[in-house]
Amino acid sequence: MTAFDIAQIVAFTLCAFIAVAGALGMATTMSMFRSGIFLMASFLGVAGLFILLAADLMGLLQIMMYIGGMLVMILFMVLFMHDPGGAMMAAMPGMMAPVERFFSGGLQQGEGRNGDHADMHAGNGEAKEADRENRQNGANGEHHAQHDGMQHGGSDMSMNMEGTHMDDMDMSMVTPVRRIAAWLAVAIGVGLGALVLLRPSWPTVTRHPDPRSAEAVGMLLMGKYMIAFEGAGFLILLGIVGAVLMARVERHPDNGGRDARVGRTDAPPQIAPDPVIPPSPDERPNEEHASEHHAVAHPPSHRRPA
Amino acid sequence: MGVAVKAALLAVAMLMLAWLTAWLERRLVRGEPGPALAVALDGSPLLPNRDRWLYPAGPIVALVGFLLGAVVIPFGPGLIGQDLDIGVFYFIVVLDFVVLGIALSGWGANTPDSVEAFYRIVAQLVAYVVPLGMALVGAIMMAKSLSTTRIVAAQSGLWFIVLQPLGFALYLVSGLMQCYRAPFLEPFATGIGGGILGVAGGWPALLWRIALSGLLFLVAAMGAVLFLGGWLGPWLPGPVWMLVKTYALMALMLGLGRLAQPLSVAQMLALSWKVLIPVGLVNVLLVGLLILFGIGPA
Repeated sequence: MTAFDIAQIVAFTLCAFIAVAGALGMATTMSMFRSGIFLMASFLGVAGLFILLAADLMGLLQIMMYIGGMLVMILFMVLFMHDPGGAMMAAMPGMMAPVERFFSGGLQQGEGRNGDHADMHAGNGEAKEADRENRQNGANGEHHAQHDGMQHGGSDMSMNMEGTHMDDMDMSMVTPVRRIAAWLAVAIGVGLGALVLLRPSWPTVTRHPDPRSAEAVGMLLMGKYMIAFEGAGFLILLGIVGAVLMARVERHPDNGGRDARVGRTDAPPQIAPDPVIPPSPDERPNEEHASEHHAVAHPPSHRRPA
Repeated sequence: MGVAVKAALLAVAMLMLAWLTAWLERRLVRGEPGPALAVALDGSPLLPNRDRWLYPAGPIVALVGFLLGAVVIPFGPGLIGQDLDIGVFYFIVVLDFVVLGIALSGWGANTPDSVEAFYRIVAQLVAYVVPLGMALVGAIMMAKSLSTTRIVAAQSGLWFIVLQPLGFALYLVSGLMQCYRAPFLEPFATGIGGGILGVAGGWPALLWRIALSGLLFLVAAMGAVLFLGGWLGPWLPGPVWMLVKTYALMALMLGLGRLAQPLSVAQMLALSWKVLIPVGLVNVLLVGLLILFGIGPA
């Protein structure tokens, strides 16, 4: 066995390990961001296997699709998921299986019901210090409160958890079929492994693959499979046109949140003038007692910090 | 172990070129520094909420992307890390690792500004990747190869900048977008404290400095290979021509970038889809016509 063979075996083992461990991490971590990164790692492992088989064009296509595509997918998950950083689940380590705890290690933990849990697990003053800092920021007004909301933990998370029940929490991570699904996955894996081992013989090819595979693939796509290729292109174009049509500005005129974020300054936000002229300070108590209707009309304006 | 020696030499050369790029860029940039922002190399910022794994992984992944991309840049006949048959495609694929690194570090640092930088960098990836591909396609069509050395060899008669001025202009704009220099520096804007550079310190900051300068160098070097004839030129030896062209193109890009006012990511996406992609399609059509009429390399 030459050094080249050993290097090949080592590379295969490494790539296969990355592919399998990445898939396991993807399925078990509590953070959606990490989940996407694990899936990306898994596909990078598969790309490594392609390259080992001298199919470097396929390997590179794999890498291109799954880095760029997965990053965009992660962005959408972060935008739409309830708890993309896994803060809520990380604060409840008792509800996780050991492998889930392993792949969710070191996640930023949410506050609330099990808040003291979080401090216990961090072990040092770091988490407490962070909490204190967050609260101070929160006291500084709307601007900073908005910032905290952007963090993975997020203040909206802790608000949800202050409720007595788990009704309004996203419990999709802890479904009852989890155990069955895990055993099913193990069974399928064992079955596939057995198929590989028990299969009588693998046909082997001595011929080396074509090093100029890019040219051959291009010729095939533009020759033999041209209808399928152009058809796919046409379908994708239709998809783009449809997406643009559905996301027209007239349908979603409210882009205020993003504008506020992009154009933010360090000055506190301007307080909008009330549409109704407020009563003068010395009149206010009487006014509030006298007319409940008025107080209901614009309660937030009274509570705004000056 | 010729491979190891080659890799070590390439890495050392790339580190020196990245340092030279950083030094030159510091002199050319006015206004918002963007990725050329001065970072504190001693001490690290206090990031109590950071992710212990993702935050340090970011700069390493970005540096790996830069070094992998450098492998297919030819500095002279035979003076190349590895002449791959799919070199240009490989180049645009591995530079995505820089985006991945910024995303990892941005999310991992877990401050509002760095997470915002992650959002912006992914949106910017969507903005530049299609026009960049279209700019490359013109040169690939004429050279009839994806190999960087064969693209340079195809320009021995006439540089592609003469035959495809539209493609060159497209490459200038989308290349600036790819390396986050002005006016496309929103992921590193001062409004969000320099993005990931604002939360980097110590060795991650040093790695970011190398990776981001190296990214600018690689984008300019690939532009020189695709449109300016690479190492080809009279009197001077090949590597000198290559470096002269690379740094001239870099100066041109940074200088042109100073003329425009910074764009937000939304404006970048609008520019990309409404202007750059149609221009790219026209460029591909024009290059196809040139080839059809037998103009260009045989």
